[in-house]
Amino acid sequence: MLSFLQFLARRLIAVPITFLVVTLILYGVALLAPIEIRAKLYWPPGASEEWLALNGGAEAVRDLNEQVIKQYGLNDPFPVQYARWLSQLLRGDWGSSFAVNDVLPALLHRTPVTAELTLYSVLLLIPLGLASGVVAGWRKNRFPDHGFRSLAFVATSIPSFILGLLLLAFFYVGLKWFPPGRLSVSNIFTVTSTTSTFKSYTGLLTIDGLLNGQYDIAVDALRHLVLPVITLSLAHWATLGRLTRAAMIEELSQEYVTAALSRGLSMREAVWRHALRNAILPGLNSSAVSMAALFTGVFVVESVFNFHGISELIVIAMAQLDLPLTLGVTVYSVLIVLPLMFLLDVLQAVVDPRIREGVV
Amino acid sequence: MRNLRRFFFNGQNLLALLIVGVFVGAALAAPVLAPPADDSSESSIFFKRVGRRTDRTPNPPGEGALLGTLPSQLDIFYTLVWGTRHALRFGLVVSLCTACLGVLVGAVSGYAGGTVNRLMLRVTDGFLAIPVIIGVGIFRQLVFLAGPSVAVSPVQRALGILGSDYVMLGLVFFSWMPYARIIHANVARLRNVDYVQAARSAGAGGLRIIFRHLLPNAIAPAIVLVARDVGAMVLLGAAFTFIGVGGESPWGELAALGREYVIGSYGDPLQTWWVYLPVTLALILFGVGWNLLGDGLNDQLNPRLDRRRAFGVSRLVDL
Repeated sequence: MLSFLQFLARRLIAVPITFLVVTLILYGVALLAPIEIRAKLYWPPGASEEWLALNGGAEAVRDLNEQVIKQYGLNDPFPVQYARWLSQLLRGDWGSSFAVNDVLPALLHRTPVTAELTLYSVLLLIPLGLASGVVAGWRKNRFPDHGFRSLAFVATSIPSFILGLLLLAFFYVGLKWFPPGRLSVSNIFTVTSTTSTFKSYTGLLTIDGLLNGQYDIAVDALRHLVLPVITLSLAHWATLGRLTRAAMIEELSQEYVTAALSRGLSMREAVWRHALRNAILPGLNSSAVSMAALFTGVFVVESVFNFHGISELIVIAMAQLDLPLTLGVTVYSVLIVLPLMFLLDVLQAVVDPRIREGVV
Repeated sequence: MRNLRRFFFNGQNLLALLIVGVFVGAALAAPVLAPPADDSSESSIFFKRVGRRTDRTPNPPGEGALLGTLPSQLDIFYTLVWGTRHALRFGLVVSLCTACLGVLVGAVSGYAGGTVNRLMLRVTDGFLAIPVIIGVGIFRQLVFLAGPSVAVSPVQRALGILGSDYVMLGLVFFSWMPYARIIHANVARLRNVDYVQAARSAGAGGLRIIFRHLLPNAIAPAIVLVARDVGAMVLLGAAFTFIGVGGESPWGELAALGREYVIGSYGDPLQTWWVYLPVTLALILFGVGWNLLGDGLNDQLNPRLDRRRAFGVSRLVDL
């Protein structure tokens, strides 16, 4: 127990350190931009190239730039600027962007959309991936294994945006089961209109619907989540399953399994009681590592299924020169990914004592 | 020789080579397969207009356009063929650069050990927490900011030159971590084996040991990853273009243009299958081809092959 607490503490300390490393890298890259351009980001509202050209021309631009550079210390050494930026982040001042004004509120406003999608995907794909890998490895070269391997191969080869489109064509255009978007039109009005009694507790529509006692909204939101969640999870599910399958096969050939069987345990007991713990480790490890990839997937899926989540912001940021928004989205996604990685690390330590003892 | 024969006498590998070969052939023969228009007024070399721009109905396959046209009469077959060229170049450049970067980081940290090792592992972990799309976004902003007119320092000028390929830059700089991790593990395992000790005692320097003795024995999994990444990177690039994050993947643009037709905004999708089906198949096949090739190489390069035969497990790269 003590060692587990120690492990937990070590990992907890690593999270902010990694955060510092990441932001240091990213802010360093962003500072490669020429200073005149960065100064422009701090121009007072109303000051534009055209306005300055009319009021003094190039000289006015230079004057204004110099003033801004001095005022905001843009010429300071890198560590000073980084520290200033970081302390602003911590105080909740994430800068303001041309497109969405204050960056942090814009991010928080869209968080529930992305959170709902990610949450259901992770909750679905990790247990399912582990379970199908275990079963496929256990029944190697039998029917479940062949089925799993074919499906997994297809799933890892189809790009997610194509998969999303195909699912839409089939289940929305063809069968009319699962429409795109987050809610049906009539329900959007119920949820967003100021006069409605619908209270937002968590922002997650499926849960809010239940809390408000409006089950139709929860069901509707769930119906809209089916296709995006499948699209997002499928490739990760397949990777996780393949890893677990390979590990399961390897574990079943180990001597401790033979010993268990010779003591009279059934194969089922040997698999679930002995081999399982070891077999799910590589999968958990790879899931931790691929959390960032999952988040990239979220961007794509949101865009395909017309969810107005965080992806909307990155598309806006990309369309124009918007460094504060880009940096904001960056820090935000790192802040989401790091805790998820931490959770999966802890999960590994729960399963495998060797990891928390630091033996491996 | 026996290894080569084993590689080729395998249906899966042959299929992989066939698919990849078709794409390579199409890329090489692009000018013959789809000759560009004489008086090209298109801004992009990946598109050819075969009718009036104002003609908004996609035309079915027929003369002039082998696979039909998009809403404003862009030739689909033409874009597919020339897009293959783009895809192959993009995939190979990105995955090879990524591999070089990752292998270098992994080899140096694995061989050096100590503080260097810990620092590099921490940095690698940090990069693992950054979604690659964010990396592309950062580079996009930089390229925007460091336009050629304002490029002052050499770094900025270099960025300006690489400008249009910020997707490539982003992908390379934010996806080398798997290579670093796997090479690091291999090199760290090998750095104290006898033949390396022997080389060291014979006076070989660090670089020589890394490149002559360690890497040849540690590189195999990186080769497998490269093969898989060629497909994966192209699909990722196409996805970025598709969702409007940028890049100029012709296939991604084709898919984006066909999107409204798939979700039925213009009536029954089956009536206009040529708008989206060919590009969908091209993307899927490209992914499948390189994936299969990677799997084949994985089995081939695995030093524990006999053991694998015995137990049916233990691949070089866990995937």
